[in-house]
Amino acid sequence: MKRFEKDFSESTHQVSISILIGGAAGLGVGTLEKILSDAFKSSGYYVFCTKEFMSRVRGGSNTTLIRIANFALQAPCWEVDIAVALDALAVEHMKDRYTKSTLLFVDESFSEKDFSTISVAMKESAKKFGSARYVNTYMAGVLFGVFQLEKITLLRSIEKYFQDEEINKEVAELGYETGQKIENITLPKLPNIDIKEVQKLHLMDGTTACGFGFLAGGCNMITAYPMSPSTGVLNFMASMTKEFDISLEQSEDEIASLMMTLGGWYGGARAMTSTSGGGFALMGEALSLSGMTETPAVIYLAQRPGPATGLPTRSEQGDLNLALYSGHGPFPRVLLAPGSLEECINYGYLAFELADKYQIPVIVLSDQYLADTIMMIGDIDFSSYEQRRYTLKSAEDYERYADTANGISPRAIPGFGKGLICAVGDEHDERGQITEEYKMREQMVSKRRRKSDALLKEVIAPICKGDGEIAIIGWGSSRGVIAEALERLDDKRLSHVHFAWIHPLSFEQLRVLDKYKYKIVVENNADAAFADQLKLHDVDVNVKILQSNGFSFFADQLEGMIEESLKELS
Amino acid sequence: MSHLFDRENVDVAWCPGCGNFGILKLIKEVLEELKVEKNNTVIVSGIGQAAKTPYYVDTNMFGVLHGRALPAATGIKMANPELMVIAEGGDGDMYGEGGNHFIHTIRRNVNIVHIVHNNMVYGLTKGQASPTSQKGFETKVQVNGVINEPFNPLAVALSLRAGFVSRVNIGNAEHAKGVLKAAFMHHGYALVDIFQPCVIFNKTNTYQWFKDNTYALDENHDSNDFNAALQKAFEVMPMPLGVLYQNKNSVVTFEEQIRKSDAKSLYFITHDVSRLQNLFDSY
Ligand SMILES: Cc1ncc(C[n+]2csc(CCOP(=O)(O)OP(=O)(O)O)c2C)c(N)n1
Ligand code: SF4
Ligand SMILES: [Mg+2]
Repeated sequence: MKRFEKDFSESTHQVSISILIGGAAGLGVGTLEKILSDAFKSSGYYVFCTKEFMSRVRGGSNTTLIRIANFALQAPCWEVDIAVALDALAVEHMKDRYTKSTLLFVDESFSEKDFSTISVAMKESAKKFGSARYVNTYMAGVLFGVFQLEKITLLRSIEKYFQDEEINKEVAELGYETGQKIENITLPKLPNIDIKEVQKLHLMDGTTACGFGFLAGGCNMITAYPMSPSTGVLNFMASMTKEFDISLEQSEDEIASLMMTLGGWYGGARAMTSTSGGGFALMGEALSLSGMTETPAVIYLAQRPGPATGLPTRSEQGDLNLALYSGHGPFPRVLLAPGSLEECINYGYLAFELADKYQIPVIVLSDQYLADTIMMIGDIDFSSYEQRRYTLKSAEDYERYADTANGISPRAIPGFGKGLICAVGDEHDERGQITEEYKMREQMVSKRRRKSDALLKEVIAPICKGDGEIAIIGWGSSRGVIAEALERLDDKRLSHVHFAWIHPLSFEQLRVLDKYKYKIVVENNADAAFADQLKLHDVDVNVKILQSNGFSFFADQLEGMIEESLKELS
Repeated sequence: MSHLFDRENVDVAWCPGCGNFGILKLIKEVLEELKVEKNNTVIVSGIGQAAKTPYYVDTNMFGVLHGRALPAATGIKMANPELMVIAEGGDGDMYGEGGNHFIHTIRRNVNIVHIVHNNMVYGLTKGQASPTSQKGFETKVQVNGVINEPFNPLAVALSLRAGFVSRVNIGNAEHAKGVLKAAFMHHGYALVDIFQPCVIFNKTNTYQWFKDNTYALDENHDSNDFNAALQKAFEVMPMPLGVLYQNKNSVVTFEEQIRKSDAKSLYFITHDVSRLQNLFDSY
């Protein structure tokens, strides 16, 4: 029998299907991702999409993974149920991810029969419409046809994303007919649909969610230099200049990016910059200036694998130490690393609050995986995020660095009040004059130090889930993938500990970890930088699961890695 | 002259006889004579002897990093276009470490006054060559004399179509004052390169040398004539002083173009929550 029955009886049973689509840059893998994710969501499935791509504009081989399910998905998997190769290279590129039961859709011209391949006249059909670039829409049609999903749903999604929608709809319809007619295949079981619940959800990537967080935080200025994978936030904010009064400039370099951002805050804006490792490295001196002048700054740092140019379009949590230690001389800072769309919004907002309140740089650590992964998020009530101001009108005798109990000097901005605002990168006295007087130096060091102490009361504790004695500890973007790996393992001994607040850590708060007998840290890097931070706070880690091959973790692979690491505990 | 812009209780760090004293006096006089509102004025400076000037002028100030005054000044204008912003520093600060920002600030046409103290040497770090040092200038680093072509800020600014390009010599303060005032009055980016003798580390380019090797442009020079200005920018020994070029057609500034509504400070700009809600809900 070629078809499956849709199974509505076991509604509690979790079913998911993974579809991997591969093709050269320029073949429209990204467009296919947009259309299919939208169409699957409209059909009532929970959707999750993530891509991996090469640092080139044409050619090579890129993939996007689309998972659909009857439960909320939050992680990618390595092995796939269905693979669609839009060109011959993709067959090879994706091959490590096939299993015995993977269905591989290939063009009819493809001759090898290693896998259970389904030949489709992709190229011929696309050419009928005048261009090879229609293979993506054609294959969207084929998939919808094979699954016997509502054609109209797909066509509506196509209308949303294409300018030349008519021809694309025709292509999709032809694909749909073809898909319906494919004989003799056993399809994986489709998950049940849950239209009511799914329709309440919003589909977006981490970039967009961070962007909404920054806007919720009142960000009204951004100055940045393009660099993957951070550019999405700059693009998002640029599109938002059409909706809101936002000052935006593409700077000449990252030094200028952060300097303009600091100028912006000094002048009264809520400003930010976005960058990746190399660009952030250039910002080091200005970061230090933020610390010394006590000028707030928000920096969105989307990590990619280094050193140097590394793997420009791939993912890693490799810049924790850079973010933590860059900038000469000690000064307080905050590092936040969201791991879900909700956290992107909450921590994006929080970044502006903390920067303003404590007059410090706040770094939001993202990575290519989080930035580019499309997930679902429930309703957010934006009226609950207040866009505050922590500045005051200056009095005539205003002193920018007035010493206070908690080290935070009331901040004023020029043009508002009778006083003058003297912010200074040299060591200074309370009014902002250069000084080398050693007692004043001691006083100012102590003032900045006390801000660090005051910050500790803001620290957000890690989220601990489960009662098992073995903690699987992750930070930032790995939240979802660790959660799914643990669900797959279904082992009562295992608990999940997720950190989104990365620095400063509170020694007292971390004592909650003392209850776990064993601690396994999962990091998408080679240096286990977060485990080192834990160690500094008297948290000893038994096993480190590290990966730095350019990919974020995959739930099925991580499941195996955790299982393996459990053997090391004794 | 009253002392409206004098800052009280400051320990001025310059050597007696330094050209910076003249520049400080000049700036304070110009600010006062033009009736500039001190609370609405910000001087942004980098690091160096020149960059210490704002510590002695009673206005708002943002003392940043070596070379980085211009992007900070740009950021301030982006945040609040109503502030009068001055970027000030030395030749090393502005043309060396900050060279890239010099280029792009001009391209943007940010509405600031850009004051560069040009002493043809690094003062604060005790006497190395600066980008504007003349060939043959011997220092502890350039032991055989400078071999590089001196940087020509005026020609660079002109080539980038700066709207106001000028050079003065602090040894001729009356002339310098007129030019600096014109720079303040100019709508858009205005460069004032000021020859400033460093009496300690530059024994070549002294008050006398600047006097002997410069001349003030007169009515025969048409500052509206771009090509004439470009020619003047390349003239040496003697070097012309004055406003080489001013684009008197009102050119729209950077901040006028990037700010959506009126020129209000971003301090007042919060986002409409229902608009934000709708945008999010459309996903
Ligand atoms: C990033 C950085 N590099 C180097 C220095 C050291 N430094 C301070 S001022 C200066 C040069 C000063 O020359 P100039 O800008 O011409 O100012 P002047 O002292 O001559 O007025 C240098 C190299 C620094 N402060 N920061
Ligand atoms: S070292 Fe030169 S520039 Fe610096 S204060 Fe002394 S004379 Fe002036
Ligand atoms: Mg100098």
